[in-house]
Amino acid sequence: MKRRLHSRRGWLGNTISYVYLTVLAIFAVFPLLWIILSSVKEKGELTQNPTAILPQSVTWENFRIVFEQLNFGTNIKNSIIIAGSTTLIAIVISSLGAYGVVRFFPRFGKLMTRVLITTYMFPPILLAVPYAIIMGRIGMMNNRAGLVIVYLSISVPYALWLLVGFIHTVPLEIEEAARVDGANKLQVFYKVVLPITAPGIVAVAIYTFINVWNEFLYSLIMINSSSKMTIAVALRSLTGQEVLDWGVMMAASTIVVLPSVIFFMLIQKRIAGGLAQGAVKS
Amino acid sequence: MPVKRKTISSLTSWLFVLPALLVVVLLMLYPVTSSIFYSFTNKNLIKADFRMIGLDNYKAILTDNTFWTAFLTNLKWTAASLLGQLLIGFSAALALNRIKKGSGIYRTLLIIPWAFPSIVLAFSWKWILNGVSGFLPNLLVKLGICDTTPQFLSSAALAFPTLVFLNIWFGAPLMMVNILSALQTVPQDQYESARMDGASPLQSFVHITFPHIRMVVGLLVVLRTIWVFNSFDIIYLITGGGPGSITKTVPIYAYDTGWGMRMLGKSSAVTVLLLLSLLFICSMYFKLLNRWEKENA
Repeated sequence: MKRRLHSRRGWLGNTISYVYLTVLAIFAVFPLLWIILSSVKEKGELTQNPTAILPQSVTWENFRIVFEQLNFGTNIKNSIIIAGSTTLIAIVISSLGAYGVVRFFPRFGKLMTRVLITTYMFPPILLAVPYAIIMGRIGMMNNRAGLVIVYLSISVPYALWLLVGFIHTVPLEIEEAARVDGANKLQVFYKVVLPITAPGIVAVAIYTFINVWNEFLYSLIMINSSSKMTIAVALRSLTGQEVLDWGVMMAASTIVVLPSVIFFMLIQKRIAGGLAQGAVKS
Repeated sequence: MPVKRKTISSLTSWLFVLPALLVVVLLMLYPVTSSIFYSFTNKNLIKADFRMIGLDNYKAILTDNTFWTAFLTNLKWTAASLLGQLLIGFSAALALNRIKKGSGIYRTLLIIPWAFPSIVLAFSWKWILNGVSGFLPNLLVKLGICDTTPQFLSSAALAFPTLVFLNIWFGAPLMMVNILSALQTVPQDQYESARMDGASPLQSFVHITFPHIRMVVGLLVVLRTIWVFNSFDIIYLITGGGPGSITKTVPIYAYDTGWGMRMLGKSSAVTVLLLLSLLFICSMYFKLLNRWEKENA
């Protein structure tokens, strides 16, 4: 009797769970679907039939305007260069740093966590003021390299935080064996530690890239000529122009959002759980 | 000779951490210090020279009604968003943890909002909610729920709740995924023995699940509070603080002061106040977390 009650309760609970998750999934997916569908609809269809889900005919006109008239290719190139260089520099700095703290200065681990949580509290808008002043003074305003430097501030602390968790999983015995064979610290790091933690490092690198690709505020403050703009700010500048229609904006949005979503899906398992737990463990 | 080798060895140890240390000091600690300094000056966005003006910026801000309205809006924005994100994230994590088939697919679909750049979040929802040809307003009219298309983003009554909804949409997946991975660390045999003793699902949640995951949940709440309290993009890109200044939070107020009115010194003072209130809120959180940590130990 009791068991039957349990299984009936289990069946009801499962059904409620599936219904609930399905409703949430519709909300989660709909905007992405809507962007993509709107980007291939005819201009007239967008305004005349706002509740029709599927397009009557598929057009690539909006994408053509995005690349040919708005020169969006330049902005995509800027974003790839800026996000790529930031990621490369940030990963080198923070994998060295994470390994150094874990192996050579373990007593500072707790202090580092505190410092990182404190810096996480700094409002981006607070840092924006001194960045604008300092970069202006050293002549790096409206400069892509300047933006890369600023972006290290949002990527290095995060990457450090996540990488410390991955480095902890490297067995000390393997490193000691390499040391006995005569390898120095740097050799141990790149011959032993890097290969073992490579999947984690790749995940952190992709995460860093997505975060920089998505960033808006610093890019808004630092860059003002359209040929140097990143995609986020270039997209924003479209809103000022009244001639533009939603189809074109959705085409541009599709180009910006799809890489983020696809890459994020690939790495989510490795990154996601670690954000809060990294701090609890250390 | 051994001494020399040891010195070299400890020197390389330092070289590992030096670049990261430099980034934190030069790009975070130094700018914050200089921002505190500029908050006592009349620094202008385009003029090079400035002078110390003592507490004038702070006096001007603290006697400005718009600031206090923005501050209150900031608190409401943070509390409402956090509560919603936690509620949705927690319940979705429990549901995902329960089902056996398809949890991977649901999980993958549900995290999509997390990957959205703020600019695309703004554009897509502005288009979906557009008062003339947006999908949702027209659907509501078609279904007979509304007589005229509701103006979600430009009406004084709807703009703030709509923004909170969008922030929950964006932030709930992060909560969900982290709570889910915490749920999966709870030892299953404890549930088994609790059920043998006749505990109800609610009782085993309160006595087994919650004590196990509360540290992770607590830390998540702290991290997200910080993030939402400081968030600028979503509001700036969707309503810009309007209609009127109904959705204006402190970061928007600071941006308007610094880049709209070009008063960088005053803007610095606003952001310093923002940081101070955040430090206060977080110190209260950490008191609670420390107590939990002691109880767990």
